[in-house]
Amino acid sequence: MEGHSHGFGLASPSWRANLDVVVTVLIARLKVISRYKGSLVMEMFLPVVFAAMPILLGVAVGGANAGQYFQANTGTSNFKLYMLIGACTFSVVSIMLWLVGYWIRREQETGTLESIYLAPARQVYVLTGVTIYSLLRALLAFLVSLVIGSIVFGVNLLEGNVLGAIGILMLGLLPLWGLSMLFGAFIMRVKEANSVINVMTWVVSFLMGVFFPIAMFPPLLQWVAAIFPPTIMNDAMRASMLNLSTFFGSWYISLAVMFAAALTVPLVGYGVFTFTGRSVRRKEGVGQY
Amino acid sequence: MHTFLDMSWKTILEYSRYPVAFIAMFAQIFLIVFMFIFATMAFRAPGEGLSNQSTFAGVMIYGTVTNLLLSFTLWDVGFSIREEQVRGTLESLYLSPARKFANLVSRVFVVLLWTGVMCVFAVLVVAAVVGGLPFDNALLATVVLGFSISGFLGIGFIFAGLTIKLKESAQLLVNGVQFFFMIFSAQFFPFAALRSISPAIVDYVSAWLPVSYCVDAFRSLLVGLPAGYPELAPLSVEIPIVVVFGIVSPIVGYLIYKRAERSARRQGNLGEY
Repeated sequence: MEGHSHGFGLASPSWRANLDVVVTVLIARLKVISRYKGSLVMEMFLPVVFAAMPILLGVAVGGANAGQYFQANTGTSNFKLYMLIGACTFSVVSIMLWLVGYWIRREQETGTLESIYLAPARQVYVLTGVTIYSLLRALLAFLVSLVIGSIVFGVNLLEGNVLGAIGILMLGLLPLWGLSMLFGAFIMRVKEANSVINVMTWVVSFLMGVFFPIAMFPPLLQWVAAIFPPTIMNDAMRASMLNLSTFFGSWYISLAVMFAAALTVPLVGYGVFTFTGRSVRRKEGVGQY
Repeated sequence: MHTFLDMSWKTILEYSRYPVAFIAMFAQIFLIVFMFIFATMAFRAPGEGLSNQSTFAGVMIYGTVTNLLLSFTLWDVGFSIREEQVRGTLESLYLSPARKFANLVSRVFVVLLWTGVMCVFAVLVVAAVVGGLPFDNALLATVVLGFSISGFLGIGFIFAGLTIKLKESAQLLVNGVQFFFMIFSAQFFPFAALRSISPAIVDYVSAWLPVSYCVDAFRSLLVGLPAGYPELAPLSVEIPIVVVFGIVSPIVGYLIYKRAERSARRQGNLGEY
Protein backbone atom coordinates (compact mmCIF):
# COMPACT_ATOMS: atom_id res chain seq x y z
CA MET A 1 0.00 0.00 0.00
CA GLU A 2 1.43 3.43 -0.96
CA GLY A 3 2.06 5.64 2.02
CA HIS A 4 4.29 8.25 3.55
CA SER A 5 6.13 8.52 6.82
CA HIS A 6 4.26 10.39 9.51
CA GLY A 7 5.99 10.89 12.87
CA PHE A 8 7.74 8.00 14.61
CA GLY A 9 7.97 6.25 11.22
CA LEU A 10 4.24 5.44 11.15
CA ALA A 11 2.86 5.24 7.61
CA SER A 12 -0.40 6.80 6.57
CA PRO A 13 -2.37 5.46 3.63
CA SER A 14 -2.31 7.68 0.57
CA TRP A 15 -5.43 9.01 -1.12
CA ARG A 16 -5.24 6.16 -3.66
CA ALA A 17 -5.27 3.59 -0.90
CA ASN A 18 -8.21 5.29 0.76
CA LEU A 19 -10.07 5.43 -2.53
CA ASP A 20 -9.28 1.75 -2.94
CA VAL A 21 -11.01 1.07 0.38
CA VAL A 22 -14.12 2.94 -0.76
CA VAL A 23 -14.23 1.16 -4.11
CA THR A 24 -13.58 -2.26 -2.59
CA VAL A 25 -16.40 -1.87 -0.07
CA LEU A 26 -18.71 -0.59 -2.80
CA ILE A 27 -17.93 -3.50 -5.11
CA ALA A 28 -18.38 -6.00 -2.27
CA ARG A 29 -21.83 -4.60 -1.44
CA LEU A 30 -22.82 -4.57 -5.12
CA LYS A 31 -21.72 -8.18 -5.53
CA VAL A 32 -23.81 -9.22 -2.53
CA ILE A 33 -26.94 -7.46 -3.73
CA SER A 34 -26.48 -8.88 -7.24
CA ARG A 35 -27.31 -12.26 -5.67
CA TYR A 36 -30.64 -10.90 -4.48
CA LYS A 37 -32.12 -9.26 -7.57
CA GLY A 38 -35.59 -9.69 -6.13
CA SER A 39 -34.80 -7.18 -3.37
CA LEU A 40 -33.92 -4.57 -5.97
CA VAL A 41 -37.14 -5.22 -7.86
CA MET A 42 -39.15 -5.00 -4.65
CA GLU A 43 -37.55 -1.65 -3.82
CA MET A 44 -38.77 -0.29 -7.13
CA PHE A 45 -42.35 -1.37 -6.58
CA LEU A 46 -42.69 -0.61 -2.88
CA PRO A 47 -43.06 3.17 -3.30
CA VAL A 48 -45.87 2.58 -5.79
CA VAL A 49 -47.64 0.31 -3.29
CA PHE A 50 -46.92 2.79 -0.53
CA ALA A 51 -48.45 5.63 -2.57
CA ALA A 52 -51.46 3.53 -3.58
CA MET A 53 -52.69 3.21 -0.01
CA PRO A 54 -53.37 6.89 0.74
CA ILE A 55 -54.63 7.39 -2.82
CA LEU A 56 -57.22 4.67 -2.32
CA LEU A 57 -57.96 5.98 1.16
CA GLY A 58 -58.44 9.46 -0.25
CA VAL A 59 -60.75 8.25 -3.00
CA ALA A 60 -62.79 6.45 -0.33
CA VAL A 61 -62.97 9.55 1.89
CA GLY A 62 -63.38 12.31 -0.68
CA GLY A 63 -65.25 10.42 -3.36
CA ALA A 64 -65.80 12.52 -6.48
CA ASN A 65 -64.57 15.63 -4.63
CA ALA A 66 -61.26 14.07 -3.58
CA GLY A 67 -59.19 16.30 -5.87
CA GLN A 68 -61.09 19.43 -4.93
CA TYR A 69 -60.75 18.87 -1.17
CA PHE A 70 -57.12 17.91 -1.57
CA GLN A 71 -56.44 21.13 -3.43
CA ALA A 72 -58.05 23.16 -0.66
CA ASN A 73 -55.74 21.49 1.89
CA THR A 74 -52.49 21.28 -0.08
CA GLY A 75 -52.66 23.64 -3.05
CA THR A 76 -52.85 20.95 -5.71
CA SER A 77 -55.58 18.64 -6.94
CA ASN A 78 -53.02 16.19 -8.32
CA PHE A 79 -53.06 14.00 -5.23
CA LYS A 80 -51.73 10.99 -7.10
CA LEU A 81 -48.49 12.72 -8.09
CA TYR A 82 -48.30 14.32 -4.64
CA MET A 83 -48.42 10.91 -2.95
CA LEU A 84 -46.09 9.36 -5.52
CA ILE A 85 -43.40 11.99 -5.02
CA GLY A 86 -43.72 11.63 -1.25
CA ALA A 87 -43.48 7.85 -1.41
CA CYS A 88 -40.50 7.86 -3.81
CA THR A 89 -38.64 10.46 -1.77
CA PHE A 90 -39.36 8.46 1.34
CA SER A 91 -37.93 5.36 -0.32
CA VAL A 92 -34.66 7.24 -0.90
CA VAL A 93 -34.56 8.33 2.73
CA SER A 94 -35.39 4.92 4.16
CA ILE A 95 -32.90 3.10 1.91
CA MET A 96 -30.13 5.50 2.94
CA LEU A 97 -30.95 5.16 6.63
CA TRP A 98 -31.79 1.44 6.60
CA LEU A 99 -28.82 0.17 4.62
CA VAL A 100 -26.13 1.71 6.80
CA GLY A 101 -27.78 0.68 10.05
CA TYR A 102 -28.58 -2.77 8.72
CA TRP A 103 -25.05 -3.19 7.42
CA ILE A 104 -23.68 -2.55 10.88
CA ARG A 105 -26.16 -4.98 12.42
CA ARG A 106 -25.38 -7.68 9.86
CA GLU A 107 -21.64 -7.27 10.45
CA GLN A 108 -22.30 -7.60 14.19
CA GLU A 109 -24.39 -10.75 13.68
CA THR A 110 -21.85 -12.40 11.38
CA GLY A 111 -19.01 -11.40 13.71
CA THR A 112 -17.06 -9.39 11.15
CA LEU A 113 -17.53 -5.87 12.52
CA GLU A 114 -14.60 -6.27 14.87
CA SER A 115 -12.37 -7.41 12.00
CA ILE A 116 -13.38 -4.37 9.99
CA TYR A 117 -12.43 -2.14 12.89
CA LEU A 118 -9.09 -3.91 13.22
CA ALA A 119 -8.28 -3.50 9.54
CA PRO A 120 -5.81 -0.72 8.66
CA ALA A 121 -8.49 1.34 6.94
CA ARG A 122 -10.14 4.40 8.39
CA GLN A 123 -13.80 3.93 9.20
CA VAL A 124 -14.81 7.02 7.25
CA TYR A 125 -13.74 5.34 4.00
CA VAL A 126 -15.49 2.07 4.81
CA LEU A 127 -18.61 4.07 5.64
CA THR A 128 -18.27 6.10 2.47
CA GLY A 129 -18.23 2.91 0.44
CA VAL A 130 -21.38 1.69 2.17
CA THR A 131 -23.18 5.01 1.79
CA ILE A 132 -22.27 5.34 -1.90
CA TYR A 133 -23.72 1.87 -2.35
CA SER A 134 -26.86 2.97 -0.49
CA LEU A 135 -27.02 6.07 -2.62
CA LEU A 136 -26.84 4.11 -5.87
CA ARG A 137 -29.60 1.77 -4.73
CA ALA A 138 -31.72 4.67 -3.52
CA LEU A 139 -31.40 6.64 -6.75
CA LEU A 140 -32.16 3.61 -8.88
CA ALA A 141 -35.25 2.80 -6.81
CA PHE A 142 -36.35 6.45 -6.89
CA LEU A 143 -36.13 6.88 -10.65
CA VAL A 144 -37.63 3.54 -11.60
CA SER A 145 -40.47 3.71 -9.07
CA LEU A 146 -41.28 7.25 -10.21
CA VAL A 147 -41.63 6.03 -13.77
CA ILE A 148 -43.61 2.91 -12.80
CA GLY A 149 -45.86 4.99 -10.54
CA SER A 150 -46.53 7.55 -13.25
CA ILE A 151 -47.70 4.75 -15.54
CA VAL A 152 -49.79 2.99 -12.89
CA PHE A 153 -51.47 6.16 -11.62
CA GLY A 154 -51.59 7.91 -15.00
CA VAL A 155 -49.73 11.07 -13.96
CA ASN A 156 -47.44 13.22 -16.06
CA LEU A 157 -44.04 13.60 -14.42
CA LEU A 158 -42.93 16.28 -16.86
CA GLU A 159 -45.64 18.76 -15.85
CA GLY A 160 -43.41 20.38 -13.24
CA ASN A 161 -39.75 21.22 -12.86
CA VAL A 162 -38.21 17.74 -12.85
CA LEU A 163 -34.60 18.96 -13.13
CA GLY A 164 -35.11 21.23 -10.16
CA ALA A 165 -36.52 18.33 -8.17
CA ILE A 166 -33.51 16.16 -9.03
CA GLY A 167 -31.18 18.98 -7.98
CA ILE A 168 -32.98 19.23 -4.65
CA LEU A 169 -32.70 15.47 -4.23
CA MET A 170 -28.93 15.58 -4.80
CA LEU A 171 -28.55 18.40 -2.29
CA GLY A 172 -30.69 16.52 0.21
CA LEU A 173 -28.46 13.43 0.02
CA LEU A 174 -25.68 15.06 2.06
CA PRO A 175 -27.74 15.48 5.23
CA LEU A 176 -29.08 11.98 4.62
CA TRP A 177 -25.53 10.69 4.71
CA GLY A 178 -25.08 12.36 8.08
CA LEU A 179 -28.38 10.98 9.37
CA SER A 180 -27.44 7.49 8.20
CA MET A 181 -24.26 7.65 10.28
CA LEU A 182 -26.23 8.90 13.30
CA PHE A 183 -28.54 5.98 12.79
CA GLY A 184 -25.60 3.62 12.41
CA ALA A 185 -24.15 4.85 15.70
CA PHE A 186 -27.47 4.20 17.37
CA ILE A 187 -27.62 0.67 15.98
CA MET A 188 -24.09 -0.01 17.14
CA ARG A 189 -25.09 0.97 20.64
CA VAL A 190 -28.57 -0.58 20.77
CA LYS A 191 -27.66 -3.68 18.72
CA GLU A 192 -31.14 -5.11 18.08
CA ALA A 193 -31.86 -3.20 14.89
CA ASN A 194 -35.04 -4.51 13.35
CA SER A 195 -37.53 -2.97 15.74
CA VAL A 196 -35.67 0.33 15.73
CA ILE A 197 -35.56 0.39 11.93
CA ASN A 198 -39.28 -0.38 11.80
CA VAL A 199 -40.28 2.40 14.12
CA MET A 200 -37.79 4.88 12.68
CA THR A 201 -39.22 4.18 9.24
CA TRP A 202 -42.61 5.35 10.43
CA VAL A 203 -41.19 8.26 12.47
CA VAL A 204 -39.36 9.51 9.40
CA SER A 205 -42.36 9.08 7.09
CA PHE A 206 -44.57 10.83 9.64
CA LEU A 207 -42.23 13.79 10.09
CA MET A 208 -41.62 14.04 6.35
CA GLY A 209 -45.32 14.43 5.67
CA VAL A 210 -45.15 11.72 3.02
CA PHE A 211 -48.93 11.61 2.63
CA PHE A 212 -49.93 15.09 3.74
CA PRO A 213 -48.51 18.60 4.13
CA ILE A 214 -46.79 19.22 7.44
CA ALA A 215 -48.86 22.39 7.72
CA MET A 216 -51.59 20.08 9.05
CA PHE A 217 -49.51 19.35 12.17
CA PRO A 218 -49.95 21.30 15.40
CA PRO A 219 -47.62 24.35 15.36
CA LEU A 220 -44.84 22.90 17.54
CA LEU A 221 -44.76 19.66 15.58
CA GLN A 222 -44.68 21.66 12.34
CA TRP A 223 -41.41 23.26 13.32
CA VAL A 224 -39.92 20.02 14.59
CA ALA A 225 -40.75 18.47 11.22
CA ALA A 226 -39.53 21.52 9.32
CA ILE A 227 -35.99 21.30 10.69
CA PHE A 228 -35.76 17.63 9.77
CA PRO A 229 -33.74 17.60 6.52
CA PRO A 230 -35.74 14.90 4.68
CA THR A 231 -38.92 16.92 5.32
CA ILE A 232 -37.47 20.00 3.67
CA MET A 233 -36.25 17.87 0.78
CA ASN A 234 -39.67 16.26 0.29
CA ASP A 235 -41.45 19.60 0.58
CA ALA A 236 -39.11 21.28 -1.91
CA MET A 237 -39.35 18.43 -4.40
CA ARG A 238 -43.14 18.51 -4.32
CA ALA A 239 -43.10 22.29 -4.63
CA SER A 240 -40.84 21.98 -7.66
CA MET A 241 -42.85 19.31 -9.46
CA LEU A 242 -46.32 20.53 -8.55
CA ASN A 243 -45.71 24.31 -8.62
CA LEU A 244 -46.53 24.69 -4.94
CA SER A 245 -45.10 27.10 -2.42
CA THR A 246 -42.67 25.64 0.07
CA PHE A 247 -43.38 25.30 3.77
CA PHE A 248 -41.14 28.30 4.55
CA GLY A 249 -42.98 30.39 1.94
CA SER A 250 -39.80 31.26 0.07
CA TRP A 251 -37.45 29.17 -2.05
CA TYR A 252 -34.47 31.12 -0.68
CA ILE A 253 -35.23 30.12 2.89
CA SER A 254 -35.85 26.49 1.94
CA LEU A 255 -32.57 26.29 0.02
CA ALA A 256 -30.71 28.09 2.81
CA VAL A 257 -31.98 25.57 5.35
CA MET A 258 -31.04 22.70 3.02
CA PHE A 259 -27.53 24.06 2.53
CA ALA A 260 -27.10 24.55 6.26
CA ALA A 261 -28.21 20.95 6.83
CA ALA A 262 -25.88 19.71 4.07
CA LEU A 263 -22.95 21.37 5.83
CA THR A 264 -23.68 20.48 9.45
CA VAL A 265 -25.47 17.14 9.54
CA PRO A 266 -22.71 15.05 7.88
CA LEU A 267 -20.13 16.45 10.29
CA VAL A 268 -22.33 15.81 13.32
CA GLY A 269 -23.23 12.35 12.05
CA TYR A 270 -19.64 11.31 11.48
CA GLY A 271 -18.58 12.75 14.81
CA VAL A 272 -21.24 10.82 16.68
CA PHE A 273 -20.44 7.64 14.76
CA THR A 274 -16.73 7.72 15.54
CA PHE A 275 -17.37 8.66 19.17
CA THR A 276 -19.83 5.79 19.55
CA GLY A 277 -17.46 3.35 17.85
CA ARG A 278 -14.64 4.37 20.19
CA SER A 279 -16.90 4.13 23.22
CA VAL A 280 -18.24 0.69 22.26
CA ARG A 281 -14.70 -0.58 21.61
CA ARG A 282 -13.57 0.63 25.03
CA LYS A 283 -16.46 -1.03 26.85
CA GLU A 284 -17.93 -4.25 25.50
CA GLY A 285 -16.16 -4.24 22.14
CA VAL A 286 -17.76 -4.00 18.73
CA GLY A 287 -17.79 -7.75 18.42
CA GLN A 288 -20.58 -8.19 20.94
CA TYR A 289 -23.73 -9.38 19.23
CA MET B 1 -47.70 -28.96 25.75
CA HIS B 2 -44.37 -28.78 27.58
CA THR B 3 -42.62 -27.89 24.35
CA PHE B 4 -45.16 -25.17 23.65
CA LEU B 5 -44.84 -23.69 27.16
CA ASP B 6 -41.06 -23.92 27.23
CA MET B 7 -40.65 -22.34 23.83
CA SER B 8 -43.20 -19.64 24.62
CA TRP B 9 -41.28 -18.84 27.78
CA LYS B 10 -38.05 -18.77 25.77
CA THR B 11 -39.66 -16.30 23.35
CA ILE B 12 -40.85 -14.12 26.24
CA LEU B 13 -37.34 -14.16 27.74
CA GLU B 14 -35.84 -13.28 24.39
CA TYR B 15 -38.15 -10.33 23.92
CA SER B 16 -37.62 -9.15 27.47
CA ARG B 17 -33.91 -8.72 26.69
CA TYR B 18 -34.84 -6.16 24.06
CA PRO B 19 -37.24 -3.72 25.76
CA VAL B 20 -36.59 -1.25 22.95
CA ALA B 21 -38.43 -3.66 20.65
CA PHE B 22 -41.58 -3.47 22.79
CA ILE B 23 -41.54 0.30 22.96
CA ALA B 24 -40.79 0.48 19.25
CA MET B 25 -43.82 -1.66 18.36
CA PHE B 26 -46.13 0.57 20.39
CA ALA B 27 -44.69 3.70 18.83
CA GLN B 28 -45.02 2.14 15.39
CA ILE B 29 -48.75 1.51 15.80
CA PHE B 30 -49.29 5.00 17.12
CA LEU B 31 -47.51 6.52 14.13
CA ILE B 32 -49.27 4.35 11.56
CA VAL B 33 -52.64 5.34 12.97
CA PHE B 34 -51.78 9.04 12.95
CA MET B 35 -50.34 8.91 9.46
CA PHE B 36 -53.57 7.52 8.12
CA ILE B 37 -55.60 10.00 10.14
CA PHE B 38 -53.67 12.96 8.72
CA ALA B 39 -53.79 11.47 5.22
CA THR B 40 -57.56 11.15 5.56
CA MET B 41 -57.91 14.73 6.77
CA ALA B 42 -56.15 15.97 3.64
CA PHE B 43 -59.12 14.67 1.66
CA ARG B 44 -61.77 16.27 3.84
CA ALA B 45 -63.29 19.67 3.17
CA PRO B 46 -61.27 22.35 5.02
CA GLY B 47 -62.51 22.81 8.54
CA GLU B 48 -64.19 19.43 8.62
CA GLY B 49 -62.44 17.15 11.07
CA LEU B 50 -63.02 13.47 11.43
CA SER B 51 -66.01 13.72 13.69
CA ASN B 52 -69.16 12.16 12.17
CA GLN B 53 -66.80 9.79 10.37
CA SER B 54 -66.99 7.05 12.95
CA THR B 55 -68.13 4.39 10.47
CA PHE B 56 -65.33 5.17 8.04
CA ALA B 57 -62.81 5.40 10.85
CA GLY B 58 -64.08 2.07 12.15
CA VAL B 59 -63.66 0.47 8.71
CA MET B 60 -60.11 1.80 8.56
CA ILE B 61 -58.96 0.85 12.05
CA TYR B 62 -60.67 -2.53 12.25
CA GLY B 63 -59.11 -3.38 8.92
CA THR B 64 -55.78 -2.22 10.33
CA VAL B 65 -56.23 -4.70 13.18
CA THR B 66 -56.42 -7.56 10.68
CA ASN B 67 -53.38 -6.16 8.89
CA LEU B 68 -51.36 -6.07 12.11
CA LEU B 69 -52.32 -9.63 12.99
CA LEU B 70 -51.52 -10.90 9.50
CA SER B 71 -48.21 -9.03 9.33
CA PHE B 72 -46.98 -10.20 12.69
CA THR B 73 -48.03 -13.76 11.91
CA LEU B 74 -46.18 -13.71 8.60
CA TRP B 75 -43.01 -12.31 10.13
CA ASP B 76 -43.00 -14.02 13.51
CA VAL B 77 -44.05 -17.44 12.31
CA GLY B 78 -42.96 -17.33 8.71
CA PHE B 79 -39.69 -15.53 8.78
CA SER B 80 -38.62 -16.31 12.35
CA ILE B 81 -37.24 -19.59 11.02
CA ARG B 82 -34.68 -17.43 9.24
CA GLU B 83 -33.38 -16.13 12.56
CA GLU B 84 -32.69 -19.70 13.64
CA GLN B 85 -30.89 -20.34 10.35
CA VAL B 86 -28.71 -17.24 10.73
CA ARG B 87 -27.82 -18.12 14.31
CA GLY B 88 -27.10 -21.71 13.30
CA THR B 89 -29.51 -23.23 15.79
CA LEU B 90 -32.16 -24.53 13.41
CA GLU B 91 -30.53 -27.87 12.84
CA SER B 92 -30.04 -28.50 16.57
CA LEU B 93 -33.62 -27.49 17.22
CA TYR B 94 -34.91 -29.94 14.64
CA LEU B 95 -32.72 -32.74 15.87
CA SER B 96 -34.19 -32.38 19.33
CA PRO B 97 -37.24 -34.53 20.19
CA ALA B 98 -39.46 -31.43 20.54
CA ARG B 99 -42.61 -31.30 18.45
CA LYS B 100 -42.20 -29.04 15.43
CA PHE B 101 -45.80 -27.82 15.59
CA ALA B 102 -45.36 -26.55 19.14
CA ASN B 103 -42.09 -24.98 18.10
CA LEU B 104 -43.85 -23.00 15.35
CA VAL B 105 -46.93 -22.03 17.29
CA SER B 106 -45.01 -20.94 20.39
CA ARG B 107 -43.30 -18.30 18.27
CA VAL B 108 -46.55 -16.57 17.64
CA PHE B 109 -48.24 -16.99 21.00
CA VAL B 110 -46.37 -14.18 22.73
CA VAL B 111 -46.48 -11.91 19.69
CA LEU B 112 -50.24 -12.39 19.24
CA LEU B 113 -50.75 -11.46 22.83
CA TRP B 114 -48.69 -8.32 22.44
CA THR B 115 -50.23 -7.50 19.07
CA GLY B 116 -53.67 -7.82 20.64
CA VAL B 117 -52.70 -5.21 23.23
CA MET B 118 -51.41 -2.92 20.48
CA CYS B 119 -54.60 -3.34 18.46
CA VAL B 120 -56.69 -2.31 21.45
CA PHE B 121 -54.41 0.69 21.91
CA ALA B 122 -54.75 1.67 18.23
CA VAL B 123 -58.55 1.40 18.36
CA LEU B 124 -58.67 3.57 21.49
CA VAL B 125 -56.47 6.24 19.86
CA VAL B 126 -58.68 6.43 16.78
CA ALA B 127 -61.81 6.44 18.94
CA ALA B 128 -60.40 9.40 20.86
CA VAL B 129 -59.65 11.32 17.65
CA VAL B 130 -63.01 10.79 15.94
CA GLY B 131 -65.09 10.95 19.09
CA GLY B 132 -66.07 7.32 19.40
CA LEU B 133 -66.14 4.21 17.23
CA PRO B 134 -68.95 1.75 16.60
CA PHE B 135 -68.46 -1.53 18.45
CA ASP B 136 -71.35 -3.82 17.59
CA ASN B 137 -71.65 -7.60 17.30
CA ALA B 138 -68.51 -7.95 19.40
CA LEU B 139 -68.97 -11.65 20.16
CA LEU B 140 -69.50 -12.71 16.56
CA ALA B 141 -66.66 -10.42 15.45
CA THR B 142 -64.40 -12.10 18.02
CA VAL B 143 -65.30 -15.52 16.62
CA VAL B 144 -64.57 -14.26 13.09
CA LEU B 145 -61.27 -12.84 14.32
CA GLY B 146 -60.37 -16.11 15.98
CA PHE B 147 -60.89 -18.08 12.79
CA SER B 148 -59.07 -15.37 10.82
CA ILE B 149 -56.03 -15.64 13.07
CA SER B 150 -56.10 -19.40 12.66
CA GLY B 151 -56.18 -18.92 8.91
CA PHE B 152 -53.31 -16.42 9.06
CA LEU B 153 -51.32 -18.99 11.04
CA GLY B 154 -51.68 -21.37 8.13
CA ILE B 155 -50.23 -18.76 5.80
CA GLY B 156 -47.44 -18.25 8.32
CA PHE B 157 -46.67 -21.99 8.31
CA ILE B 158 -46.43 -21.93 4.53
CA PHE B 159 -43.93 -19.12 4.72
CA ALA B 160 -41.97 -20.92 7.39
CA GLY B 161 -41.58 -23.78 4.91
CA LEU B 162 -40.65 -21.40 2.12
CA THR B 163 -38.09 -19.73 4.36
CA ILE B 164 -36.33 -23.06 4.91
CA LYS B 165 -36.04 -23.41 1.14
CA LEU B 166 -35.50 -19.84 -0.02
CA LYS B 167 -33.53 -18.55 2.98
CA GLU B 168 -32.85 -14.80 2.64
CA SER B 169 -35.02 -14.50 -0.46
CA ALA B 170 -38.04 -15.44 1.64
CA GLN B 171 -37.93 -11.97 3.16
CA LEU B 172 -38.75 -10.53 -0.22
CA LEU B 173 -41.66 -12.91 -0.60
CA VAL B 174 -43.05 -12.10 2.84
CA ASN B 175 -42.81 -8.38 2.06
CA GLY B 176 -44.53 -8.87 -1.26
CA VAL B 177 -47.35 -10.94 0.21
CA GLN B 178 -47.84 -8.49 3.04
CA PHE B 179 -48.27 -5.59 0.63
CA PHE B 180 -50.36 -7.67 -1.74
CA PHE B 181 -52.90 -8.31 1.01
CA MET B 182 -52.73 -4.69 2.15
CA ILE B 183 -53.96 -3.52 -1.23
CA PHE B 184 -56.12 -6.34 -2.56
CA SER B 185 -57.72 -7.30 0.73
CA ALA B 186 -58.40 -3.58 1.27
CA GLN B 187 -57.18 -3.63 4.83
CA PHE B 188 -56.97 0.16 5.22
CA PHE B 189 -59.88 1.31 3.08
CA PRO B 190 -63.26 0.05 1.90
CA PHE B 191 -63.45 -2.27 -1.08
CA ALA B 192 -65.50 0.50 -2.72
CA ALA B 193 -62.24 2.40 -3.26
CA LEU B 194 -60.82 -0.52 -5.24
CA ARG B 195 -64.09 -0.82 -7.12
CA SER B 196 -63.92 2.84 -8.11
CA ILE B 197 -60.55 2.14 -9.78
CA SER B 198 -61.86 -0.96 -11.49
CA PRO B 199 -64.61 -3.40 -10.44
CA ALA B 200 -62.50 -6.18 -11.96
CA ILE B 201 -59.91 -5.75 -9.19
CA VAL B 202 -62.49 -6.66 -6.58
CA ASP B 203 -64.35 -9.28 -8.62
CA TYR B 204 -61.31 -11.13 -9.97
CA VAL B 205 -58.66 -10.60 -7.31
CA SER B 206 -60.04 -9.52 -3.93
CA ALA B 207 -63.04 -11.84 -4.05
CA TRP B 208 -60.75 -14.85 -4.47
CA LEU B 209 -58.71 -14.12 -1.35
CA PRO B 210 -59.98 -15.66 1.91
CA VAL B 211 -58.19 -12.86 3.77
CA SER B 212 -60.53 -10.35 2.07
CA TYR B 213 -63.54 -12.06 3.64
CA CYS B 214 -61.85 -12.10 7.04
CA VAL B 215 -61.28 -8.35 6.80
CA ASP B 216 -64.72 -7.58 5.39
CA ALA B 217 -66.68 -9.72 7.83
CA PHE B 218 -64.74 -8.59 10.90
CA ARG B 219 -65.01 -4.87 10.31
CA SER B 220 -68.55 -4.96 8.93
CA LEU B 221 -69.72 -6.69 12.10
CA LEU B 222 -67.98 -4.23 14.37
CA VAL B 223 -69.25 -1.11 12.56
CA GLY B 224 -72.78 -2.46 12.93
CA LEU B 225 -73.49 -3.70 9.39
CA PRO B 226 -74.51 -0.35 7.88
CA ALA B 227 -75.89 -0.19 4.34
CA GLY B 228 -73.39 -1.58 1.86
CA TYR B 229 -71.56 -3.70 4.44
CA PRO B 230 -70.30 -6.34 4.13
CA GLU B 231 -69.08 -5.33 0.72
CA LEU B 232 -68.04 -8.60 -0.92
CA ALA B 233 -70.83 -11.00 -0.11
CA PRO B 234 -73.64 -11.43 2.42
CA LEU B 235 -72.58 -12.34 5.94
CA SER B 236 -74.19 -15.77 5.53
CA VAL B 237 -71.60 -16.44 2.82
CA GLU B 238 -68.61 -14.65 4.34
CA ILE B 239 -68.70 -16.30 7.76
CA PRO B 240 -68.60 -19.88 6.39
CA ILE B 241 -65.70 -18.86 4.15
CA VAL B 242 -63.82 -17.51 7.16
CA VAL B 243 -64.58 -20.62 9.23
CA VAL B 244 -63.41 -22.97 6.47
CA PHE B 245 -60.30 -20.82 5.97
CA GLY B 246 -59.59 -20.95 9.70
CA ILE B 247 -59.84 -24.73 9.78
CA VAL B 248 -58.25 -25.72 6.50
CA SER B 249 -55.45 -23.16 6.28
CA PRO B 250 -53.40 -24.26 9.32
CA ILE B 251 -53.68 -27.92 8.29
CA VAL B 252 -52.59 -27.25 4.71
CA GLY B 253 -49.96 -24.77 5.86
CA TYR B 254 -48.46 -27.21 8.34
CA LEU B 255 -48.38 -30.00 5.77
CA ILE B 256 -46.53 -27.75 3.34
CA TYR B 257 -44.13 -26.73 6.10
CA LYS B 258 -43.47 -30.36 7.06
CA ARG B 259 -42.80 -31.24 3.45
CA ALA B 260 -40.30 -28.40 3.08
CA GLU B 261 -38.60 -29.34 6.31
CA ARG B 262 -38.39 -33.06 5.37
CA SER B 263 -36.95 -32.15 2.00
CA ALA B 264 -34.32 -29.91 3.58
CA ARG B 265 -33.36 -32.63 6.06
CA ARG B 266 -33.05 -35.20 3.27
CA GLN B 267 -30.86 -32.87 1.25
CA GLY B 268 -28.84 -32.04 4.35
CA ASN B 269 -29.20 -28.27 4.00
CA LEU B 270 -31.46 -27.55 6.96
CA GLY B 271 -28.67 -25.77 8.74
CA GLU B 272 -27.46 -23.94 5.66
CA TYR B 273 -27.26 -20.21 6.11
